[in-house]
Amino acid sequence: MRIAYFSPMPPERTGVADYSTLLLSALRERLDVTVVRRGRKRAPRGADVSLYHVGNNPDAHAWIVDALRREAGVVVLHDFVLHHLVAGMTVGRRDGHGYLDAMEREHGVVGRLLGHGVLDKRIPPLWESRPEDFPLAGFVLEHATGLIAHSRTVHDLARSAGYDRPIWIVPHPAWPVPTTAPERVAAGPVIGCFGVVNASKRIPELLRAFAGVRERHPEVTLLLVGPTSPGFELDRRLQRLGLADEGLVREGWADEPRLWALMAGADACVNLRHPTMGETSGSAIRSLSLGKPLVVSDVGWFSELPDGVALKVPVDDHEVETLAAALELLVTREDVRVEMGLAAQELARREHDLDRVAELYVAAIEEAAGGEAVGEAVLREVSEAAADVGISAETAEAREIARRLAEVELG
Amino acid sequence: MNIAVLRPQVPFARGGAEIFTDRLVEELRARGHEADLVSVPFKWYPGARVLTQAFLWRLLDLEEADGRRIDVVVATKFPSYLIRHPDKRVWLLHQFRQAYELDRGELGQFGESSEERTLRRKVQALDRVALGEATRLFATSRNVADRLARSTGLEAEVLPHPPQELDYRCSSYENFVLSVNRLDRAKRIDLLLEAAALDSALEVVIAGDGPDRRRLEELARDRGLDGRTRFAGRVSEEELADLYGRCLAVYYAPVDEDFGMVPYEAFLSEKPVLTTTDAGGPLEVVADRRTGLVVSPDAAELARAMGWLREHRDEAASFGRAGKAIAAEVTWDRAIARLLA
Repeated sequence: MRIAYFSPMPPERTGVADYSTLLLSALRERLDVTVVRRGRKRAPRGADVSLYHVGNNPDAHAWIVDALRREAGVVVLHDFVLHHLVAGMTVGRRDGHGYLDAMEREHGVVGRLLGHGVLDKRIPPLWESRPEDFPLAGFVLEHATGLIAHSRTVHDLARSAGYDRPIWIVPHPAWPVPTTAPERVAAGPVIGCFGVVNASKRIPELLRAFAGVRERHPEVTLLLVGPTSPGFELDRRLQRLGLADEGLVREGWADEPRLWALMAGADACVNLRHPTMGETSGSAIRSLSLGKPLVVSDVGWFSELPDGVALKVPVDDHEVETLAAALELLVTREDVRVEMGLAAQELARREHDLDRVAELYVAAIEEAAGGEAVGEAVLREVSEAAADVGISAETAEAREIARRLAEVELG
Repeated sequence: MNIAVLRPQVPFARGGAEIFTDRLVEELRARGHEADLVSVPFKWYPGARVLTQAFLWRLLDLEEADGRRIDVVVATKFPSYLIRHPDKRVWLLHQFRQAYELDRGELGQFGESSEERTLRRKVQALDRVALGEATRLFATSRNVADRLARSTGLEAEVLPHPPQELDYRCSSYENFVLSVNRLDRAKRIDLLLEAAALDSALEVVIAGDGPDRRRLEELARDRGLDGRTRFAGRVSEEELADLYGRCLAVYYAPVDEDFGMVPYEAFLSEKPVLTTTDAGGPLEVVADRRTGLVVSPDAAELARAMGWLREHRDEAASFGRAGKAIAAEVTWDRAIARLLA
């Protein structure tokens, strides 16, 4: 089976490019895959299925959605909240009407009015202030013949948005653990946090919680790895909490070998998020593979992690206190770290195994490839049989047959 | 309790599933239940017919019959478990194997076109949905349960069932190896014939009929087995019990079989079973040099094993007796108690 594969690829520095590099190594053993060159608008001739990787970043994904809108296909939805992408493909191209139409299509007249407010600069851009309330996923979903989601969360969000075509849940694959030696940044327990440093990663809450833990356990170190978002003012926050000079090790963007080494040297990893765009965290998957206990926000995909591998912190008024308690548990209880770490490795091996994920992709693609023809053949035969005995469309009997077909995913 | 046992029916074909379901109904009735067999014809080709014929089960209403509530339905194999019922129990004999482990093999059904690939996946999707609805899910063997877990992620309890009721006995250990099977390629009778061709002292009796019979008879002629190999065809119950009672050993080596009642029937006749390392379900009860012989699927290996049994009849008898102890543990009382618990 021939697959046209639309995705950002290295050297683009995006999580989806990393993801595709990993996935393609296994997918190519099973399918005839052509990676479509960036910017092309059409699948190569003879492709049975086009697979479009879509995320929220317009720089990486706008050209892919342009191609999707020309020719429908299976969408791998890396984020459910796509407001930033849609804004980039409309407002960013001086197509204000396109943005207003997208807002109205999914959020009615109120959405259109809010869109006007954004275009007239009367209110802050919604893709920065409230994207989760206006995900605009319909912009992509309406062209998807099937959907591959990494989580039950995204599956449910798509269904509640009215998407009624097939959805396959395919977990994020785990990277093979490199043999790089762990790098310990301190003698005492090290809590690692990897990824962009900004408010949506709950870094302010993490710093406050950690400062409290460190007052009671001065031997603990927080390792913060990743670039700082513009305007975040990390240094000022560290100074205010007394973490500027001790207790915290800061490292900016780290290449892959360095990232693995630092993560392997941590005793536990923190991966917080709010709001969530429905994404899965590649960083959390790496932590699982390394057998690191995790502390996560109790939102989206992170909530789906088994309790045995992750301590989940609700995003509420007690977030900082709960987070501090979770960190304190992990830094003081080696037995808990060991037990959670073993469970994490087992989860990575069982759920996120690359070959398993590739097989699930093949199953989804094969089901999608002839889906329309098979669906039509089934409906034709059933409706002809019904018509032969006098059951015509729009009757209660026909509706009952349709309902039962839908129950078993045949209609 | 009012219980409907569900069986897809391929008209004019009768095999293990038919024997099993008939017997299950009898055994349920014998324990005071109102039980009946519900059968719907099944044709799995061409094209999408595998789905539309399966869908027929979904249209049935078996929650009650003529005003009488049906308390439990027991589905047995694809596609009978598509039925809708508040207490749907599945005692799985097998899934639609062409969509799984037989795919892309000699016994596969689905080609490489997009539509054919999709059909196969749609069968799998049906399984996931319909078996996922079951209130209790049993599999006749560990092999069937493992396949189910691999293909759908669903866990089934292993619940073997006793073989057909015959006048089982052990009257002697004569000089022939018995095969009892439907004659189709998956049962690998040709391997037995090839082994017989390598050992001129070996006699074979093949009970059963099926689409592969003519080819097998030609193979026997080509290998000069006339006089040493007898195709007995479909035999009566009494004749079958007699063959079991007199044979030296029973050959049973299908490819990755689901469960297979033949080893149990052989054991109840105190006969060892000859099987192969890739036979699947039978390996759960046939242990090498304990209840039979397990060899690689190779004619020379098989011929050697049969020769060994011929030369070691005491061991053959002791393997058979050890098997009988295993078979005696599988009773309808126990099976039905678990099924309806």
